[in-house]
Amino acid sequence: MGSNYLIREGVKNVFKNKKATMISLITMICAMFLFGTFFAIGENVNNLLEQVQKNQGIEVFIQKDATDEQISELEEAIKALEGINKTTFKSQQDALDIMKEKLKDNQELFEGYEGEKNIFSPSFIVTLTDLSLATEIEAKIGAMENVKKITSNNDTINTLMKIANGIRIAIGIISILLLIISITIIANTIRLTVHARRKEISIMKYVGATNRFIRWPFMIEGVIIGMMAAIVTLLMVGAMYDFVIQKIEQSNILQTMGVTLLQFPEIVNLVAIVYVILGIGVGVIGSSISMKKYLEV
Amino acid sequence: MIEFRNVSKLYDTGTEAVHDATFSIDKGEFAFLVGTSGSGKSTLIKLILKEEEVSHGNIIINGKDITFLKPRRVPYLRRSMGVVFQDFRLLPDKTVYENVAFAMYIVKATPKHIRRQVPMVLSLVGLSNKAKMYPNELSGGEQQRVALARALVNNPSMIIADEPTGNLDPETAWDIMNLLNEINARGTTVVMATHAKDIVDKMKKRVIEISNGVIVRDDKKGGYDSGK
Repeated sequence: MGSNYLIREGVKNVFKNKKATMISLITMICAMFLFGTFFAIGENVNNLLEQVQKNQGIEVFIQKDATDEQISELEEAIKALEGINKTTFKSQQDALDIMKEKLKDNQELFEGYEGEKNIFSPSFIVTLTDLSLATEIEAKIGAMENVKKITSNNDTINTLMKIANGIRIAIGIISILLLIISITIIANTIRLTVHARRKEISIMKYVGATNRFIRWPFMIEGVIIGMMAAIVTLLMVGAMYDFVIQKIEQSNILQTMGVTLLQFPEIVNLVAIVYVILGIGVGVIGSSISMKKYLEV
Repeated sequence: MIEFRNVSKLYDTGTEAVHDATFSIDKGEFAFLVGTSGSGKSTLIKLILKEEEVSHGNIIINGKDITFLKPRRVPYLRRSMGVVFQDFRLLPDKTVYENVAFAMYIVKATPKHIRRQVPMVLSLVGLSNKAKMYPNELSGGEQQRVALARALVNNPSMIIADEPTGNLDPETAWDIMNLLNEINARGTTVVMATHAKDIVDKMKKRVIEISNGVIVRDDKKGGYDSGK
């Protein structure tokens, strides 16, 4: 059938022009490798931030004379706000115990503060799903009844937000640049094939081939090169990723921070999808660009 | 079959290659387009193939006005005509058989149809025994016959030939002419641009002469020069 013929021609193009194919393969692999690296870093940064965000709580201190009923009313009100991950009640006793635990060696300090004489206020530890809502949520909670005061780590939160946004923007820009490079490379390779086959193209036009029919083999060529680059790069990124993650995990830094990194299987689907779309997209766009001139007969 | 109504073609450079041309070629006719180089012959051919756009007037092919045919419909117009060029335009890396079959792939013919049709056309042009050879292994005349087979393979209603004998020695040229004549006798319209005087004189077919873009003569059974 006609479609078999087109695919065969496209595959033939890839191998007929070995040198150009190799050059564009290698360049594309480099571009995609860089892209993959940044992508993996970006995904991990996002993941780390999410974990940090969940740990970053704000502490809402409650008036000491608030009744149990008022306290649970307050908890309901806080939970009803948007962007709340979890609320944990910390009673006066809990607060004292935590402090005792921290100052293990100086237990005598706490004598006389037990029970009725406990100076600590009960509180809620509130964690957020989205740190960008922190200021807003604080204001809302601050306006509620029986709230004595709120402490939070605003500076940490803001710094984290800034870092996250910076990394996202940088990765976005780099990705766009790499995409442009890839398209240009593919377009150039295909332009070589198209140029070598311009005679064939003009004959095809005279015999009554539609532009779509003429374009197919070249598009298939582009997609094959794109996909080959994608598969090779995926394997390379996978190997490198596992290696680096292992090294980082051995160093114990993350355990002390209480966060974990993503394992490759957790991001492989996303990376593969992005690569496949990139490979196909770059192939199609690249071949369209390089065909344009030759189709106007 | 082919009808020109007051057709003019003005190129962007300002040259008027064709001026107010009106003629019509009927189904089954054999017509020569003659004129010196630069007279506008090639432009006429290009207008028929819709390779160039008409500036004024209308062109009707097979009863359809193609003057404002959409670009994406042009391939379908071209499928109704087989085209032959002076320089053969064969694909060097394909065999004779593949060169002809190629034209059928393009119109999405079934493999069964291709396997039946290609040998038939090759035998018509007398190249059955050279199906597996490559163009560079053939003589000029044989290459032109492959080109003719390719033009014929999709059963077009007309053959458009632009100087088909231009690169051939006289004897071989006559082989091609006899073949064209035979094809014409089977009912295919043939339009041939040429400046081969002896051929036109001997064939005694219709002659349309163009000079400086103007149709100056249209003889039913003419020679290359007027008055013959």
